[in-house]
Amino acid sequence: MPHVDEIAALPGSAVTDSPTPADEPHLIRRAQQRDAAAFERLYRLHVRRVYALCLRMTANVVRAEELTQTAFIAVWDRLPRFRGESAFGSWLHRLAVNIVLMDMRTARRREERIFSTCDLPAFERAGVPMHASVRLDLEQAIAALPPQARIVFVLHDIEGWKHAEIATHLGIATGTAKTHLHHARKHLQHALQ
Amino acid sequence: MNCTEAHASLDDSVDGTLSPVESLALDAHLARCPRCREALASLRALRDAAASLPHEITPGRDLWPEIVAATAARPAPSRRLTLPLALAAAAVVVLVAIGAWSWQHRATRQPGWTVAPLAGTPHVGATPISGDARLRPGDWLETDDASRARLDVGAIGEVRLEANSRVRFVGTAANQHRLELARGTLHALIWSPPRLFFVDTPAATAIDLGCAYTLAVDAEGHGIVRVTAGYVALENGPRTVVVPAGMMCAARRGTGPGTPFAADASPALRAALDRFDFHPAERTAALDEILRESRREDSVTLWHLLSQVPAGRRGDVFDQLAALHPPPEEVTREGILRADAVMLTRWAGELGLIAASDAPYRGP
Repeated sequence: MPHVDEIAALPGSAVTDSPTPADEPHLIRRAQQRDAAAFERLYRLHVRRVYALCLRMTANVVRAEELTQTAFIAVWDRLPRFRGESAFGSWLHRLAVNIVLMDMRTARRREERIFSTCDLPAFERAGVPMHASVRLDLEQAIAALPPQARIVFVLHDIEGWKHAEIATHLGIATGTAKTHLHHARKHLQHALQ
Repeated sequence: MNCTEAHASLDDSVDGTLSPVESLALDAHLARCPRCREALASLRALRDAAASLPHEITPGRDLWPEIVAATAARPAPSRRLTLPLALAAAAVVVLVAIGAWSWQHRATRQPGWTVAPLAGTPHVGATPISGDARLRPGDWLETDDASRARLDVGAIGEVRLEANSRVRFVGTAANQHRLELARGTLHALIWSPPRLFFVDTPAATAIDLGCAYTLAVDAEGHGIVRVTAGYVALENGPRTVVVPAGMMCAARRGTGPGTPFAADASPALRAALDRFDFHPAERTAALDEILRESRREDSVTLWHLLSQVPAGRRGDVFDQLAALHPPPEEVTREGILRADAVMLTRWAGELGLIAASDAPYRGP
């Protein structure tokens, strides 16, 4: 019988010829004209960044995959209106953050209560110089944070957002965002001791 | 500044948002308080570790096929047009559509579905295909170890066939589109209403309930499904099992579908479940192992077992499931022990098994 892990690996995470950033403006113009091949190249360029964001914000592999797909579908819909007033990557990441937040607000699906989990193998697919076990411990501890604290921590301490930006996106006061960050850091320090 | 005030300033300190005056006050306190210095160092270490986490993680599967399918099915974003311009545009669209339909109809007037190679040279029957081809009812599509293929399931979805796979186009009608997977692996993405797309395998029939899934069949005809979106029903004779997103389910030739399990279930639980489902003589020991190994994420598996274990063991399953995922208030131990259908269904709803209105739950 085909093994579960074999099936998981079958679709592959193969990355095709990633375009260089220098290609990006040209790819964006072509994708705005509904060129699916150009859009796929933009996807290949940015998917790992968007997926990392979704995975850390949701702590749920299945939701992260779905929301990554939703984000890129939304990009396809909105790309004709992208005027280049900000970097494409920044625009895309903010769109992805909004999609995750919207999903968490409005689609609290019942299966999340039983399927939400920290999927360490998913985090293991990131190649980084930090000692692997330290990084995985930290990823696991972040995934175990309460959702609001986790989101503020991910956006502030990993993504580098300011409290005011986070507060605006979450619809909370800046002071509340700071409180969430404080609690998140306390939780993490305790968990990593 | 005392220790309480210092601790309240540490976050702003590592973030660099303290005012000069506050910073001086904190420095003065830190100079004489080793505990607060240690707390600040710990906070800085955490911030540095978080900042050095990778900003890119590769998904465990290729997410592109569903994206391209969804975007291809979407209309172009609408633009605000004045009425005369909109009418003129509509006329152009109609003319273009007629032209495109005529052209396409000429190209595809023969019955069947379009198949295209994704890699290597798949075969339709004995014919190698290098570009778009037609798969007609009764035709076999086969891939070797170097080839893969894409199959457009009419207007309702897409199937991707992995290497070393063999699938037959059984037939298509208004209310049914059917394939037979003899061996290998396919990925299905279906956007039609539920219960229109079927894949027969030697062990069970997979019925789409509005979903994306991967289905694999080995050389002995045993199968396994992994659902990534929506629901799939696995059916064999009178037994139907609904598998929700994030879960998998094995099926054995001659036995049918087993019990669904979470895609991240432990190997020990999977092995025990395989013994429980497909080796009747080992059921008692296997159930003990399942109960020991189960986590909250395995609640759906335990719920299915409630109606599969002998009545004498139902209490054990209830106790473990209730500990991991307490039942709704109106669901009682006594009710579950007598297999009360209403209570079982109520609990299933709490576990997300009746989440989709178009995928009515049909019990184990």
